[in-house]
Amino acid sequence: MTEEYRESVPVLTFPRQTFVSLLVFALVWETLSYLAPYLGIPPFAIPSFVRIAKSVATITPIDIVVTLARVIAALIISFVLGLALAMAMYRSESLNKYLHPMIRLFMAVPVVSWILFAVLWFPGVEFRIAFVLVIVCGPVFLIDTLDAMHGVPRELRRMMQSFRPTTWQYFFKLMLPAIVPTIFTSWKVNISLAIRVVTIAELVGAVTGIGHQLSVAQELFSVADVFAWTLVLVALLFLLEAIVARVETRVLRWRA
Amino acid sequence: MSGPPPIEVRGLRKVFRQTTTGQSVIAIERLDLTISPREVVAIVGQTGCGKSTFFDLMIGLEAPTEGLIHIGDRSPHADFDYFRGKIATVFQQDRLLPWRTALDNARLPLELIGLPEAEQRERALNWLNRLGLSQFTKAYPHELSGGMRQRVAIARAFAVEPDILLADEAFGHLDEVTAAELRETFLSLARECGSTAILITHQLEEAIGVGDRIIVFGRSAKLLADIQVSQWDKQSRPLLREAIQSTLQNNRADPRLAGIS
Repeated sequence: MTEEYRESVPVLTFPRQTFVSLLVFALVWETLSYLAPYLGIPPFAIPSFVRIAKSVATITPIDIVVTLARVIAALIISFVLGLALAMAMYRSESLNKYLHPMIRLFMAVPVVSWILFAVLWFPGVEFRIAFVLVIVCGPVFLIDTLDAMHGVPRELRRMMQSFRPTTWQYFFKLMLPAIVPTIFTSWKVNISLAIRVVTIAELVGAVTGIGHQLSVAQELFSVADVFAWTLVLVALLFLLEAIVARVETRVLRWRA
Repeated sequence: MSGPPPIEVRGLRKVFRQTTTGQSVIAIERLDLTISPREVVAIVGQTGCGKSTFFDLMIGLEAPTEGLIHIGDRSPHADFDYFRGKIATVFQQDRLLPWRTALDNARLPLELIGLPEAEQRERALNWLNRLGLSQFTKAYPHELSGGMRQRVAIARAFAVEPDILLADEAFGHLDEVTAAELRETFLSLARECGSTAILITHQLEEAIGVGDRIIVFGRSAKLLADIQVSQWDKQSRPLLREAIQSTLQNNRADPRLAGIS
């Protein structure tokens, strides 16, 4: 079983096509950087890779840690709240009828609007960022898990009910394990969403974090710094997604 | 051991309201029935005759519209929790939880009644062994054949050593050899456990081969015939089969059953 499991764990691959497309992009960028003065483009607009590498070298780890902490904390809070509400809405049809339209409405509100609301409503920067992340990611967790609960096959629900579980047993021995695959998918979607949202939220008023550093880079007209911090964000996203994928493979090893 | 209580069904009526049309559908018109402790009863009827509704009422998942079902002096619906660990079911499909191994599936009802973990494990292993699955306790359902999965489902039902065993078309989807083998195993284990067993089926051979008693349902679970199989010797079984077949087709008791049932 262990050997089979090891074999089934996906390894990070770097296919030739990916390498070629990245190489082409780098060559075009570097060529444009070299030709920029001749094309009338300001030199800072397309920095060379050497300049970008220098920016990467000056990256402050504390900002990465702060952004990461904000993302993970907000995702955990969003998940717990989303799951708890989904369970309540699954249990109570009337609660579902009242809350569902409101949740859909929240999901339709643009992130920028939430950020403006947060700035106007709350004085604390950390609370603003957490609010925006939770209000954006929470409903995604909620709707995904609620849909997954409704999708648990009727046959399994009837089987479980025939053995007369308590409400908690019903949720923890049937519903929760049954929706685990959806929970993982939802986490992957929300990680990507949270990384993008946290950056925008940090642009407004934060004095730490990647978003703040991007704001500083913009004020300094430093495209190299923007590029470097963007690379960090992308790397962070890939890293978090890889961790979730690894846990998913381990937890869902029962799947055919 | 006191043994299972008798089952009393009196004036049972079940009406469903269709959500799309709002019309009422009578699933069970009026049913009176008594099932003695440790009896093995096969209920036969055509598709849509109300067998499965009766099954759900017996489990307690549905409430009667009128009348009552009592197991001992309690209702399986009103006293739902009282029957935890006392009624077990085997369904048409195995309905195993795909994220649990065979062992963990078999111990599920034992977890629900709150047995200590060691005892859960011991009892589930014992039943899996008795059903010939000792080599497959760590296998997930997708790694097992249809027959093996149904064995796990049977082990899961027997694990709580229930008073009442209910099987809804439990062997109908299997090939004949596997079905016959499992039917035999189910029957002998039910007798050994001293459980009352109620098998719902549309297969006459299965009903005649398994039941001490055969109850024939017509439309809306109308009781068409109530047959003690022991009153029909082996030679007359083909005749019995024909008479039940004719009863089902005409929705009224065949005269050949009248004198005996």
